[in-house]
Amino acid sequence: MKEKRKGPIGIAADLAQGFSATMRRMQREREPRLLVYDETGYARLVQPNGRGYESLLESAEEMVALVAQAEDDA
Amino acid sequence: MAAELTPDQTAERLCELSTEVRAAVLLDAAGAPAAVHGVPKEDERELAELARGLFDAVDRAHRDLPGGPPEQVEVQVDAGVVYASRTPRWTLAAVARRTALSSLTLMDLRAVLAELEDGRPIRRSQAAGERTAAAAASEEAAASESPVPELGQDP
Repeated sequence: MKEKRKGPIGIAADLAQGFSATMRRMQREREPRLLVYDETGYARLVQPNGRGYESLLESAEEMVALVAQAEDDA
Repeated sequence: MAAELTPDQTAERLCELSTEVRAAVLLDAAGAPAAVHGVPKEDERELAELARGLFDAVDRAHRDLPGGPPEQVEVQVDAGVVYASRTPRWTLAAVARRTALSSLTLMDLRAVLAELEDGRPIRRSQAAGERTAAAAASEEAAASESPVPELGQDP
């Protein structure tokens, strides 16, 4: 079992760990994510190197941008 | 009895039902737009083209999946999420906020498509505060209420 660090250095290290975990999580949440579902609702994640990934992503980004533009103009 | 949902009302109906949906487009089996809601007139055609491109890309890449061709697609990008669901006759695509819950939004898409195809209106529960005197709460009424929209029930 990992020994818990004590004292001010330990506290600073814990804070840094928490911060970096939060940054990693935020980064992961911003990453594009593509899922396709079959008729039973079973989901499959499309990997970045998977077939169709780029064109799907491109279409979706353009759709979101178009709607955002329309909302900005309104 | 509620009026039957027509194709031209479908995109608006989805935006009404799901607060996180910002725009929606309904395509017919040929990929032609039947209804668009949430973008100005001049952008409707472009949104429909892009929505058609989603399933074109899916079909090119994932037609041979074990469970059959995908029926629903979800693409999360930085500024939002695109959801699409299809039946043999219709394809409904929606652009939603990033905060949208996937399972709920996809359920809304399926519910609206089912309402369009089968003519069965989505049953929505009313908040207690919205009730009129005529529909006063009773144990019987409460037992018949469900927290989720139900399909296949007569209104």
